[in-house]
Amino acid sequence: MDNTKPLADFYNPNVLVNLGPSHPAMHGTLRVMCRINGEVIEDASCELGYLHRGIEKLGETKTYHQWMVYTDRLNYCSALINNIAYAMTVENVMGIKITDRCMWVRMIMMELSRIIDHLVCLAANILDTGALTCFWLLFRWREEAYTMIESACGMRLTTTYARIGGMSYDIPEDFIPRLFKFCEEFPKTIDEVDQLLTANRIWIDRTRGVGVLTAEQALNFGVTGPTLRASGVDIDLRRDRPYYAYDQVDFDVAIANGGDTYDRYLVRMEEMRQSVRILKQCIEKIPGGSIWVSDNRVRIPEKIDVYTKMEVLIHHFKIFMEGIDVPPGESYTCVEGANGELGFYLVSRGGPKAWRLHVKSPSLMQFQAYEQMIKGDKIPDAIATLGSVNIIAGELDR
Amino acid sequence: MTAYCKNAAFLARQEKAHQRLREKYASGALAEGRKLEFDSIGEAVLWVRDGKDLMLVVKMLRADPALAMNYLSSLTAYDNQDKADGPKRFVVVYQLFSTTLHTRVRLKLAVDDGESAPTMVKEWIGANWLEREVWDLFGIRFEGHPNLRRIMMDERFTGHPLRKEYPIKQREPFTSNIPFHLGANPLPTEK
Repeated sequence: MDNTKPLADFYNPNVLVNLGPSHPAMHGTLRVMCRINGEVIEDASCELGYLHRGIEKLGETKTYHQWMVYTDRLNYCSALINNIAYAMTVENVMGIKITDRCMWVRMIMMELSRIIDHLVCLAANILDTGALTCFWLLFRWREEAYTMIESACGMRLTTTYARIGGMSYDIPEDFIPRLFKFCEEFPKTIDEVDQLLTANRIWIDRTRGVGVLTAEQALNFGVTGPTLRASGVDIDLRRDRPYYAYDQVDFDVAIANGGDTYDRYLVRMEEMRQSVRILKQCIEKIPGGSIWVSDNRVRIPEKIDVYTKMEVLIHHFKIFMEGIDVPPGESYTCVEGANGELGFYLVSRGGPKAWRLHVKSPSLMQFQAYEQMIKGDKIPDAIATLGSVNIIAGELDR
Repeated sequence: MTAYCKNAAFLARQEKAHQRLREKYASGALAEGRKLEFDSIGEAVLWVRDGKDLMLVVKMLRADPALAMNYLSSLTAYDNQDKADGPKRFVVVYQLFSTTLHTRVRLKLAVDDGESAPTMVKEWIGANWLEREVWDLFGIRFEGHPNLRRIMMDERFTGHPLRKEYPIKQREPFTSNIPFHLGANPLPTEK
């Protein structure tokens, strides 16, 4: 047997390694192709589109309500933020002002979703680097949050909770006490994970200085959200361009300045604490009243009226069979999603279908930056970095 | 018209930015062919004359301390098949954002089928993939782009799916993967 050949390969500075698209460490269907020298990645290229479903094209052929279900499939870790951001976009073009109760319910749902998204991101990132305990600790609360969401809208992962002009159901009576309990007990788990990881030698060695993204690079690449804030850029759309009632709640924006995987972990941990803080204020401030606007263009009638009144039955039929008529206009509406700025650019030319519906996904910008971030790092570092920037294939490929 | 954000401090900043746009960018001899509009939530939309004008406006917007549009949020396009927005076939849309003032400006450039837009990669590296996406889905070329390949669809794919004439059910399945490559950089064997 010739033993010289494998050795020659070992010292070859041009070993090509293909990661993904179907590999558990690649979180979905991402593909990264690397040229490595020894253990160091010298060149990398990302390939995407393995989960491309033409969601934007579907937006032009489905009615506004029918497209709501596709928003669940963008970032499936925080489907509620997508639902609400999309509903908000259509409402903006139609000039609808939602009720106060609906506004606060939406804020609760968005913050709960943000917590779930950060939990998934952190737990998976920590798991990828080999710490299983924290994964179990964190996922217990994801389960609890999903159960709460299920009690509100009947669905867990793909919620389709928002409607244009309101929500499909009002929150149930036991939701607020349950949320209160969640807000009391969940921070204890954050503290527990904090104690296990933040000063942990192994965790710091695995994440400090790994996948560094400087503030200048981050802005140049158009990175948003926790990844941008971990690089030391102080932008949070909830504070800077407050939508709904975010200017009536107190919260701090978490910033770190190293831009590495460890800092992204710290920012996400702090953001979960801040989300709990916002949730507590929402519990205090949530007003009563109707969750639906009275605008008859979008108001979906109550089921009992549909069964008993002829006019309401016709109205219900027309909303779902023809769709709602959105006047010509356009808007780019963005919210601070769990991953960063999630924007919907809607161009309407009138009628029940959008002319153009573009989704500005934070993951696309982050994946592009990721290609540069991993150069000079090692393969296991690339996996740790991928977990920390939280790229969701559904949102990336659309 | 509903404002996206009811915060008074933000609205004052936005109004000041709009005033600046009106005076400096949408009027005067230099601004011939430009048009300033406001969308459904009262945000500024500036139509630029052509590709050269676009680059000029972007450079001015970046350098202007009263606007400081230093961040590219999104870059996309839409099909103007019904000619509602002028005689040209496509509209390329740039969403600019100021990280200090938190205001937005949307730039619009009309391009015809076969015409190309200038690349924004020199201003923001992040435009690279966004322009590839527009090329892939609409077939609009970007002059000077370092690596204008398809991004969402397979390299072997024909047609541009977000054009209005592309049928929604037209499928092109491929059974094999895209071969290993390193983007714009050559593979070691090709050197």
